Amino acid sequence: MVARKRGSLLMENFVFIALNLIFLILLILFLIKQGQGAVVLEQTYAKEVALLIDSAKPETTMLLNIEKGKKIAEKNNVDIEEIIEIDSENHIVTAKLSEKGGYSYSFFNDVDATAYPDKTNPQEIVNYVIKVNSYNHE
Amino acid sequence: MNKRGEEKILAIYWFVILTLVAGGIFTMTILFYNHPYDVREVESQILINNIADCLSRGGELNPELFEGEEFSEEFKTNFLQTCNLYFEAEGGEAEEYYSEITIYNASRLDLPVYEINAGNKNLVASCNIQEEKKYKREARCMEENLFSVKGGKLYLIKIMSAIGKAKENVK
Repeated sequence: MVARKRGSLLMENFVFIALNLIFLILLILFLIKQGQGAVVLEQTYAKEVALLIDSAKPETTMLLNIEKGKKIAEKNNVDIEEIIEIDSENHIVTAKLSEKGGYSYSFFNDVDATAYPDKTNPQEIVNYVIKVNSYNHE
Repeated sequence: MNKRGEEKILAIYWFVILTLVAGGIFTMTILFYNHPYDVREVESQILINNIADCLSRGGELNPELFEGEEFSEEFKTNFLQTCNLYFEAEGGEAEEYYSEITIYNASRLDLPVYEINAGNKNLVASCNIQEEKKYKREARCMEENLFSVKGGKLYLIKIMSAIGKAKENVK
């Protein structure tokens, strides 16, 4: 009788601790997922690239790590070539990680800039090349 | 009430607290990530740097600023193009940038010798009302000063920039 009581007490405590742990893990996963969502990353990439272009001089080549974004884009069937697009005529950078999504931000530096995936290692693309070619009016 | 009953109530109470905590964290996270990153201060600083690079090179005023001994009116007209800046907004909307440059002879700081301004002048009002307190929905403004020389004369250049873009940076 005593042995059964002890056993059930242990089981209750185990279930209680397990439930608490599951709760904590779910909370942490939720927080991580929120910080790495497509919407947040699209905004980060678009603003980062726009600010990089603004502060760059012609013939500057910059590399932007897009590892996190690439995973999300692959999951959402977005081609890697479409993740970052620069419209030099209208001075707008667009980052796209989901089919229906996309975030645009403008830049003021009057330059011709291009963005394409860095295919130095085609098996594993982790960077995007941001190239500022020349001023639009020279 | 026996001990077992008390434990059960305590456990329920504990999970109610956990749910409340989870709800709080959930709400805070959603609120935090729904707010856009405000990069206007950095943008404003970069704009000032670009203008400073255009006006003064290696501590000397850009020769294009002068027509003989006088400051050039043509430079003023073509300021944006000469300094490789693009302030136009898409779809004919109001411009989101403004910049104002005032050049003083260092020996007479009360009288500007040359002034240039470009962009959306309405943003200046936002700068004026934020001298004491910042309002996040208003434009972000910044001002920097630098000295530069030309023909043995020392000049003070004041550059002010304002960035609107409230829609993209504030919720």
